[in-house]
Amino acid sequence: MASALTDSTSRAPSTYTYTSRPRALPCQRRRYRDSLTQPDEEPMHYGNIMYDRRVIRGNTYALQTGPLLFDFDLEVTPVLEVLVGKTIEQSLLEVMEEEELANLRASQREYEELRNSERAEVQRLEEQERRHREEKERRKRQQWEIAHKHNETSRKIAARAFAQRYLADLLPSVFGSLRDSGYFYDPIERDIEIGFLPWLMNEVEKTMEYSMVGRTVLDMLIREVVENRLYMYEHQRDSHPSPEPEDEPGGPEAMRESLEASEFLEQSMSQTQRLLLDRDDLQRTTYDESSSQERKFMEESELSGQDEETARRESLGKEELP
Amino acid sequence: MAQSGDSMELSININAAQVTTAYGHRALPKLNEELQSEDLQTRQKALMALCDLMHDPEYIYKAMNIGCMENLKALLKDRNSLVRIKTTEVLYITASHSVGRFAFLEHDIVLALSFLLNDPSPVCRRNLYKAYMQLVQVPRGAEEIISKGLISLLVRKLQGEVEEEFQELILDTLVLCLREDATEALNSNVVPILKHKLISTNENIRSKAAHALLNVSISRVGKKQVCQFDVIPILVHLLKDPVEHVRSNAAGALMFATVITEGKYAALEAEAIGPLLELLHSPMTVARLNATKALTMLAEAPEGRKVLQAHVPIFRAMEVEPHEKPHIAEALQRAARIAVSVIEFKP
Repeated sequence: MASALTDSTSRAPSTYTYTSRPRALPCQRRRYRDSLTQPDEEPMHYGNIMYDRRVIRGNTYALQTGPLLFDFDLEVTPVLEVLVGKTIEQSLLEVMEEEELANLRASQREYEELRNSERAEVQRLEEQERRHREEKERRKRQQWEIAHKHNETSRKIAARAFAQRYLADLLPSVFGSLRDSGYFYDPIERDIEIGFLPWLMNEVEKTMEYSMVGRTVLDMLIREVVENRLYMYEHQRDSHPSPEPEDEPGGPEAMRESLEASEFLEQSMSQTQRLLLDRDDLQRTTYDESSSQERKFMEESELSGQDEETARRESLGKEELP
Repeated sequence: MAQSGDSMELSININAAQVTTAYGHRALPKLNEELQSEDLQTRQKALMALCDLMHDPEYIYKAMNIGCMENLKALLKDRNSLVRIKTTEVLYITASHSVGRFAFLEHDIVLALSFLLNDPSPVCRRNLYKAYMQLVQVPRGAEEIISKGLISLLVRKLQGEVEEEFQELILDTLVLCLREDATEALNSNVVPILKHKLISTNENIRSKAAHALLNVSISRVGKKQVCQFDVIPILVHLLKDPVEHVRSNAAGALMFATVITEGKYAALEAEAIGPLLELLHSPMTVARLNATKALTMLAEAPEGRKVLQAHVPIFRAMEVEPHEKPHIAEALQRAARIAVSVIEFKP
């Protein structure tokens, strides 16, 4: 290569060094078309070494005309080596890169497979766990329900027994209390009680009242008779004045006696009255007037003797009036 | 050799479809300007040049810095379909790198792209699906798609698209999104659609649909829906599929769906135990792992336990089996041990 250059530039005046500016080769091509009849000239200046005859190339059968420029084969080897070497190196690099990528992909896939299988395992265990847990929950709930039911049933039974016992007593007690309050009555008995007995009592009362009235009337009669007799007796003494002063003391004595007798009578009357009163409380109201009058008489007689007569006369008068 | 003259003209333009990119750090600013040019051709050429550049993450980062993304977003609404195709291609290439994904999230490109879901040009849509698929490779990207509410749109597209390649791409996207959050998908009726895809003729679609169902049934609601829509019998049928990875994904979906009691009994009725036992001898590790786990779930039900009691020796053999990678061996052994303990459980 260098020799060719030096050869071409040897024609130029200056030498070629690395500092010299690149220079285009002097134009060596024919600018005008040659006539075909023109014979070959020497030297031919070729721009392209491929066409230069002085260069020996490969298997060329051209005759060597003139001095050789350079041996193509020898010179081209390093060039080719570099070119081809670089190309091959580059392609090797690319192929290796591809291979590396493929390896990466393969290992990625492997990892993914292993991961998938692990994942499946995890999911299976999870699923198992979930199933177990659900089963446990279900069993627990079942047990709880059983226990609950059991509890409830026993409570129900207890309540039932208790209620039965309680209520067993209820019926007789109800009937007993009703009977005691008199709701179960014998109608005949009731009838007798309500209808007959009051009437009977009424009649008895009436009968007793009759006898009472009779007795009272009798007492009154007796009293009246006795009073009349006394009055008459006192009048008789008055018509006889000689015995008056003697009668007077006798009178008061007789009065006292008669008083005593009347007192006796009164006492007996009051006794009978008290007896009557004791016997029949119910008839108290009817006798109240007469008994109160008698009591008044008694009180008056106890208090003053003389006033008695006037009082008696008054009472007699009162009695006579009705 | 022929004597040919040297041409004074510039060398022929090898690629007429691209603009010549400027050298070094001038490349992107120049392209950025050309993207905004009025001339359609310039824009197209600039896009094609950009496609080539975007394979280098450093250029992506630079593009983000100079606001190239906004221009690209604007170009998505261009009337010319070639422009749109090329723009989506650029975005797809961008999304293959993590810097690019970051750019997606920063500039809210997901939403702008979603308007193209109904684009008439299929190439455009393919690039779009590819872009989404690349985006959801990271969880943050999947979150973004979910949060923008695109899942229901994608599910509907899954049903609508006829091309199987598109279905595969959409399924890829859905698989990774469902891993993050399945609720929106479940609300948009994804289970029946996936069920339909399970019986497709294309094995990739079957496999991806089964994988999607696997991710769906991780959540509890998903499990219930899977049982509700009677997907389990189909999954059991897929356990006898000739293709290995379809069987493995079906076993995985069953593994998650049988965690709930409904799923267990549905699987037992569909007689899943037989095929699952066969799957235990599969060469794929993931298939064996999934099958072991699914059998463990089924052994929790008394009927399953009865049947599996006869097969305890297989699990015991698995317990002591060595494997080249220690963590996989350990995982297999542990799964086998758990299976044995569940089978031999006496209440």
